[in-house]
Amino acid sequence: MQRFAGFWPAFAICASLIGCAPAAPPAAAQSQGGGPSPTRVIAVIPKGTTHEFWKSVHAGAERAAKESGGVEILWKGPFLESDRDGQVTVMQDFITRKVAGICLAPLDSQALIPYVQEARQAGIPTVIFDSALDDASDLVSYVATDNRNGGVLAARRLAEVLHERGNVILLRYNPGSDSTEQRESGFLDTMAREFPEIKILSSDEYSGTTPETSLEKSQQLLVKFRDQVNGVFAVCEPNSTGMLGALEEEGLTKKVKFIAFDPSPRLIAAMADGKIDGIVLQDPLKMGYEAVKAMLDHLAGKPVKKQILTGEFMATPENMHEPEMQKLLHPEQFGE
Amino acid sequence: MGLPHAVGEEASRGAGSPPLLSMHGISKRFGATRALKDVSLAVHAGDVLALIGENGAGKSTLMKILSGAHPPDTGRMELAGAAYAPENPHAAHIAGVAMIYQELNLAPDLSVEDNIMLGQECSRWGRLDRTLQRREVARVLDLLGHADLPPEALVGTLPAGTRQVVEIARALVARARVVVFDEPTSSLTQADVLRLFEVIRKLRQSGLGVVYISHFLEEIRAVCNRYTVLRDGEIAGAGDLAGISEADIVALMVGRSVNELFPNVAHQIGDVVLSIEGLGGGRYPQSVNCDLRRGEILGIAGLVGSGRTELLRCLFALDPVRTGTVRLANLTPRASPRARIAAGFGFVSEDRKTEGLAQGRSIADNLTLSRLAPYSRWGWLNLTQRRAAANDWIRRLGIKAGSPDDAVQALSGGNQQKVALARVMHQAADVLLLDEPTRGIDVAAKSEIYRLMGELAAAGKSIMFVSSYAAELLAVCDRVGVMARGRLREVRAACDWTEESIMHCAVKKYDE
Amino acid sequence: MHLTSDTRPARTATILRSAKTTLGPFLALIVVIGFFGVYDTWFGGGGQFLSARNFRSVSVATATIAVAALGMTVVIIAGGIDLSAGTTVALSATIVAWCLKANWPAPLAAAAGILIACTAGLINGVLISTLRVVPFIVTLGTMTIYLGIAKIIARETTIRPDLNEQVPRWLADLLSARTEALWFGAPAGIWLTLALSLALAAMLHLTVFGRYVYAIGSNESTARLCGVNVPWCKMTLYTLAGFFVGVAGIFQFARLSSGNPTSGTGLELRIIAAVVIGGGSLSGGRGAVLGTLTGAAIMEVIKSGCTQLGLHNPVQEIILGAIIVAAVTLDQVRQRRSAG
Repeated sequence: MQRFAGFWPAFAICASLIGCAPAAPPAAAQSQGGGPSPTRVIAVIPKGTTHEFWKSVHAGAERAAKESGGVEILWKGPFLESDRDGQVTVMQDFITRKVAGICLAPLDSQALIPYVQEARQAGIPTVIFDSALDDASDLVSYVATDNRNGGVLAARRLAEVLHERGNVILLRYNPGSDSTEQRESGFLDTMAREFPEIKILSSDEYSGTTPETSLEKSQQLLVKFRDQVNGVFAVCEPNSTGMLGALEEEGLTKKVKFIAFDPSPRLIAAMADGKIDGIVLQDPLKMGYEAVKAMLDHLAGKPVKKQILTGEFMATPENMHEPEMQKLLHPEQFGE
Repeated sequence: MGLPHAVGEEASRGAGSPPLLSMHGISKRFGATRALKDVSLAVHAGDVLALIGENGAGKSTLMKILSGAHPPDTGRMELAGAAYAPENPHAAHIAGVAMIYQELNLAPDLSVEDNIMLGQECSRWGRLDRTLQRREVARVLDLLGHADLPPEALVGTLPAGTRQVVEIARALVARARVVVFDEPTSSLTQADVLRLFEVIRKLRQSGLGVVYISHFLEEIRAVCNRYTVLRDGEIAGAGDLAGISEADIVALMVGRSVNELFPNVAHQIGDVVLSIEGLGGGRYPQSVNCDLRRGEILGIAGLVGSGRTELLRCLFALDPVRTGTVRLANLTPRASPRARIAAGFGFVSEDRKTEGLAQGRSIADNLTLSRLAPYSRWGWLNLTQRRAAANDWIRRLGIKAGSPDDAVQALSGGNQQKVALARVMHQAADVLLLDEPTRGIDVAAKSEIYRLMGELAAAGKSIMFVSSYAAELLAVCDRVGVMARGRLREVRAACDWTEESIMHCAVKKYDE
Repeated sequence: MHLTSDTRPARTATILRSAKTTLGPFLALIVVIGFFGVYDTWFGGGGQFLSARNFRSVSVATATIAVAALGMTVVIIAGGIDLSAGTTVALSATIVAWCLKANWPAPLAAAAGILIACTAGLINGVLISTLRVVPFIVTLGTMTIYLGIAKIIARETTIRPDLNEQVPRWLADLLSARTEALWFGAPAGIWLTLALSLALAAMLHLTVFGRYVYAIGSNESTARLCGVNVPWCKMTLYTLAGFFVGVAGIFQFARLSSGNPTSGTGLELRIIAAVVIGGGSLSGGRGAVLGTLTGAAIMEVIKSGCTQLGLHNPVQEIILGAIIVAAVTLDQVRQRRSAG
């Protein structure tokens, strides 16, 4: 009997795959149907797949693909935003698959460099978006928010609401993430240069990648500096959400001025209530759009700018109802 | 064993009254093996039917069919005059057939009452009716003559014999009509066995039918009134116990006459090889003094829990040694199993399943684990050589196995025991410590183990033989010592003991 | 020798028997490859799934888990478990990065990575055999201890040695799928993995220590009463597992060219999954090197196949989970069958 035992896992695999087959992407259906022109396949690799931010990037990428026509977007990220090895594997899989081009938001500014080189040697161009790579020589273009400027905007807004004096906390995100490190240094430099009356209480705590870990860390910080803190800057969406939760738990909302980065429905509602004094906004839709567009231009032989900035904006309780801001606060998401 | 024989208070019923339970022409095959062929039996109300047979004769298959675990291929069953074909053990339980197994099925962390009522709780709208439940528990415990058992006691804290009462009580609550006991005494002390027999007598008085499976012919004689012998899946004989001798039953079981259950192998007793002085362990044993001679078989009798097992484990340093010296051939080995093995001790555990053998490993692995040196060089094994050696031992001991690579768990109890014995023989141990080596194996295998022990003694080995079965100690050993409350009380030549005097010595009150 | 005629067919039978136990996972691997291959070639997808290049990239993605899982196989055969394997991989990678950053020669840095992982394994072994606490609890504790140590070494950030100056070519290319980095058709790291697997398989089957490992996992009491020095064996086997985890750490560094203390979090479960899919039993006594390699490969093939077909992450996660449950169910069925 034992010799048949092997069929069980095999059976389970087949069964589960057959179950998923209809859910295979439109891509498969398209090529099966025999499209009129050969489709070009562009792989887009985000840092993760569960944040709203990436859903908007995805929507922007799809918009660029639709505009050009004959382009198929393969959207695939690692399981977790800390899984560098997983992102390397996805990258290698796409190189193997010989896609026409890869748009990558690198989880690590160094670890992905050899694989971008590998792609170029295999004749696959790479556009980097959202976060930079230390070595830009093999890139077609770098499409991103000027994260440093985002940090500068946050510092200026926080100083404004604090009337340029007081004690502030900077809650960092995760070691090795370039985009947030840029925001952090932009914030700290501006504070030091422009607002000498503002003191930094803490700038060496990392929130971790999930709202849970950042809630925990924020709460610890607030308990520690409860009597001194006047303002807080949280450098990205999950850690802003965690910080907001901690402020509410500790009953410090409105007493402590709070600047967040990237919107979410919860953060927007909190801003409408006056619990948040400013949210730094990026334009993820534009980021996804520009990244794929740059890739398509490059493939078509057109010149492409080495760096494309997608802009950063400060939403405040005062301006948040303006139509421009509304668009950025509620960017279109893929699948909507 | 000194057990009172069944009184003929309830003579076997006349052929006229219908049986409580009957099985007709039951056959069962598993793949190519025929487990049962055309087996019929009947149990009348008030009967205690002994189901006798060697291991593998088909007893457990027959009982599995009775309890609904397997359907029969052919044949039919009747219970109290109605057709009985249980689809699963639960259905059998409801119909009134209860099984009491060797390994008890109780939850140790629940109370006596909760265990008795488990799965058959008295409840109203999902709420337990404790009062009603207490009454029911009291009723059945009283019926069993154990009204003194506190229903709130945790089952895990009770001695094995009392736990069995709980299990029987569970069957009675379910209004069982037929109770099957499968080797119920193998983990019981003599006193508990006597109490169990009392319970069984109560069961037959209240009109139940009992099927009793056991290897111990004396027990059967003491508690049963009828017998059915199975051999190779067929009925070898059946009838009233009153009209048949033990030798005849054994002959029916093995299909040949075993005149000599205890083969007498002549052996020469030499000088003292092992001397134990003031040996003491954790709780037991306490200050044991004893000598063992070359070629001698020393029996250790005593109740379960009297420290017999602990004595052997202490000698083998499996349990911590606190006091005293153990001198083997004028050396005092360090107190670790490794050192004791090196000094020449060999140990066969009483518990084949959880300690004695690595059940999932092969025969060859189990056989050679304590001495791999002959087949290894620089830590690398010569598997061919080892295999040949294992094959040799399998042949020498007549172990029934396909190949040395078969897992031990596929073997029958008797053959597993032979593997355990083969290990200490392969180890070339001079002093063999055997803890209940014949427990749970059939008569033929027992006989072979006795012969083997005799041959080992004849070859100059010394044996310490722990057993609860006084008859085998008296028949096999040169000297027998009795342990009670952790001390070795008295050592005499085997011919100076009787089963009664051993029992007396084991239960006597001692002034410490 | 008259023995040869007797033993030869028997030995063939033994080989067949051990083949049969590893056949299950192996068959599953072939079915998975076949399924993705057919789907990718004929029903859309990039048509690259069955290419040599893909086999290379799947194998390099498998290597880190596979090597660590070799160590875990020994631990699981002996009836233990090592939850600290994941963070120890990251610890070892961090140490390698730290040493390179401090301008140590690369072989020395690699040795340091292996040494620290062996030490971590030895500590596990010592705690398990002296405290007599179950391995699950001990390694649950050391898991975060090793994470903490790695974070201290890395000062809570990522250590990035200079790729051009401090990381030698051979180390960076250890697990590279690029054609010029290959060594007889495969990256050097793959050959190393295979060599280690062979050595471990030989150790498990042909040495006294291997017998003891199986015996301890199958029944520790039996091993004790057969005179096996159980504490010593446990320390040795956890240290040995540490060695493999250390090699996995070097692999992880080679792949990411940086050392991050958190990059091993959660890895232990994938390592254990590889062993379990490969037929290892968490109750001890069973497990095989070939099975473990197959188990690690199955997980990576599914990931790669899903990417090639453009299936989304959730689908991939569900399939992986189903495989693990199927493997464990199979294990149970096998156990029940052999016990009954």
